Amino acid sequence: MAAELTREWSDEQLKSDDLSKKDVIKFIQDNAAHSFLAEHKLMGNIKNVAKTAKKEQLIIAYNDLFESKRFLGSEPIEDVTEHVKNVKIDDKPKEVVEVVDEGPPKFFKSVLKKGDKTNFPKKGDNVSCWYTGSLEDGTVFDTNIPATARKKKQSKPLSFKVGLGRVIRGWDEGILTMSKGETAKLEIEPEWAYGKKGLPDSKIPPNAKLIFEVELVAVD
Amino acid sequence: MALEQLSDVVQRCQAIQDDNYTTEDYSVFQIAGRSCIEDGESAQVLSIVVDEENKNIVRCMGWNLLGPLVQILLKKEENNLPHCLAILTHLLEVCSPKELLVGLLEQVEEAHPDSIAETVILLLQPLQKVLLRLGGRKASSVGMALSTLLGQVARLPVPQTKEQEEDDVFSLCRCCSALLVFVRPFVEEAKQCRTPMPKKDELRTELLKLVCVCVCCHPSSMKSLCEPLLEVQLKDPETLAESPLRNFATEILGILSDIGESLPDLLSHSLLRRREVPGFLEEEVCYPKESLASLAYLLFVQHIAMDTFPTVFSSVFVLQCNMEYINLFLSRTEESRLQKGLDLYEKSLVRVEDNSLPVQLMELKSFFSVPQNLVKVMTLCPIQHLRIKGLQVLQLSIDKFDTEAKYKFFQCMLKTSHHAGVEGYIIKNIKNQIDFALKPEKGNEWFMGAHLFPLLRQVLCLPQGPETDLLQNLDRVMESLNLLRYLLIRDKAWKNQTGIWTELYKIEDNYLKPLRTGLNMSKAHYEAELQNTKDNSKKTNAKESQTQESVCSLTVGNEKMPNMTPEMQLQVLHSALHTFDMMESVLARIEEIIEVKEKP
Repeated sequence: MAAELTREWSDEQLKSDDLSKKDVIKFIQDNAAHSFLAEHKLMGNIKNVAKTAKKEQLIIAYNDLFESKRFLGSEPIEDVTEHVKNVKIDDKPKEVVEVVDEGPPKFFKSVLKKGDKTNFPKKGDNVSCWYTGSLEDGTVFDTNIPATARKKKQSKPLSFKVGLGRVIRGWDEGILTMSKGETAKLEIEPEWAYGKKGLPDSKIPPNAKLIFEVELVAVD
Repeated sequence: MALEQLSDVVQRCQAIQDDNYTTEDYSVFQIAGRSCIEDGESAQVLSIVVDEENKNIVRCMGWNLLGPLVQILLKKEENNLPHCLAILTHLLEVCSPKELLVGLLEQVEEAHPDSIAETVILLLQPLQKVLLRLGGRKASSVGMALSTLLGQVARLPVPQTKEQEEDDVFSLCRCCSALLVFVRPFVEEAKQCRTPMPKKDELRTELLKLVCVCVCCHPSSMKSLCEPLLEVQLKDPETLAESPLRNFATEILGILSDIGESLPDLLSHSLLRRREVPGFLEEEVCYPKESLASLAYLLFVQHIAMDTFPTVFSSVFVLQCNMEYINLFLSRTEESRLQKGLDLYEKSLVRVEDNSLPVQLMELKSFFSVPQNLVKVMTLCPIQHLRIKGLQVLQLSIDKFDTEAKYKFFQCMLKTSHHAGVEGYIIKNIKNQIDFALKPEKGNEWFMGAHLFPLLRQVLCLPQGPETDLLQNLDRVMESLNLLRYLLIRDKAWKNQTGIWTELYKIEDNYLKPLRTGLNMSKAHYEAELQNTKDNSKKTNAKESQTQESVCSLTVGNEKMPNMTPEMQLQVLHSALHTFDMMESVLARIEEIIEVKEKP
């Protein structure tokens, strides 16, 4: 399948400054077999490869390619899938994984204090909240509101990016419905909180419905 | 004698203007002063030192008396104590704080190995006083002091058992408590600062360094001889109600929030490194990954300061953050690090529901590296309990993946583990998943039907065809055969839920036939070897002490291992043949089932 490639550049041309590293890399990436690229550490984003590879190394690789004739398509399919898998892993990893799910909302919100009704957070926005969390029986298991007003001045509200699965689902979904300045009571079913397991070794028992009073202080 | 000299030099210097004392003056003062103090004439020295006339002299030269004073104070002799203390107090107030700092830290550094704890505890308060006198420029001095103090404290043996901690023979716990008191005013001062880290405020930076060094030895900041204070297994409240080390750990982590660092932000730091932040290198120095990893361990495994961690984050996110640290721990070889990695992984996994981790997670680098490292632990680690735990945690992680993720994971492991035992284990898992999928109303598209085949093809293959070393691949081959036998029995030909019957002819060609060939070859070979060995041993018996020609020799630890005796050789060969018989019986059973089903 791979036709015999011809050498475009002579040794002098390769060494010359007119030929940039990126050009050589691009040629090799376009025409070499995946295992060749892997061995010579030439996979991935051209800019990154250019940063790490020296011109001499590239010249050696270029010559090696023509000597060994390990052109694209000369290796069996298995290697290609391996390469694809490897490329995926070399790429900048995704930050956080969102869990997509169907079904009715598993939380209930009651507004305690209205917000400005204009600034609603979108997925990925940074939000800041004061909150108090309690179990159905009233036990408070967590809060970030300090005891005295003076201390509140010194502490900071909880900050995070909403809608990305970093917090329990009840929060992600609930906060997206709130506007800046709003204080709401979120009653979250265990499926959208800590589920069947709860938090082992901690204050949340299995299958616990959680009740949060949340004040959305800031949006991005 | 010395007292006279001291009085003389002091008299002489009173006349000198503008602090123009000669080096000789300094020298005489120091030597005479030292002798007086050592000879027990501290009362007289005190009166000289507090004399208003000598104010300037003392201010310039007084700090040189620190050495002898500290030595006397350490001896704790009743008569000298009050005077020496008074001298010290006075010096702390009038001498230059920078010089005092140098003098005091020198004393800390030069402390006799047997009196490290005493020296540190004695000098903490004086150091604190001096540092507080430095005003707004104190940050780097505080850092220097902390580094010196910790360097010494870290040399004290850390109590390992509950009794040792209670007895505190080497006073490590006392030192830690004293350190907390020492550091308190600086923490309070740092609290006032509002700018976000890691910007300017150096005091907060120094305190962050303190925390990082306490939780874990970061190569760049501590000398290699230190054992981080919090590396020890902290005793939980049930074992030891009042644990000074645990308290120390909790307070140290408390400093983090006091200086404005949020635990969730710190822990997700590795995951969400904000690359746009200028001075990226600074960040790495400020938040060394090893320290963050130890922090995660303290939080999630030892539950230190866990009540300050918001109960709001999703367990999957917490797992993702921790994977970076788990990977770091598991990439090491020291037992303590591997143990931590395994514990942290386990604790992070149990928070997550079974079958819930989505396949997209498989694309993250850490979700690939951690299992690879886990396999290394399971197969290469010399410590047995770690190998066992590694396997347990591997299974736990498999249980947490959802079906598609399990599928991808099995594929990946079969491709990359290169170890027959691991492959066998994975194949057993595959069998369990198929079994589960075949249950009524539990079907899924991954372990049945079209998707199952690529996976089965990976399972039911001989890597080197008929020449595959069957003994080496024993675990893998047996599990594959078991799986095949299971499928043929469980999935009735007329139902064919898994599609095995349609693909059977391919399996026969690509797997069963080569396996049959390989088995036959192996058996023939070993039977021949067996015969050879029997014949050879007969010959040797006939010729008595004739040493056998061995093909190769084995040397372990500079000792040449003795050749295997003929009996041992026979044993090994018999054992190999027995293994082949085992494989053959399963293979025969499979062939039987196929034959029966194919009869019309």
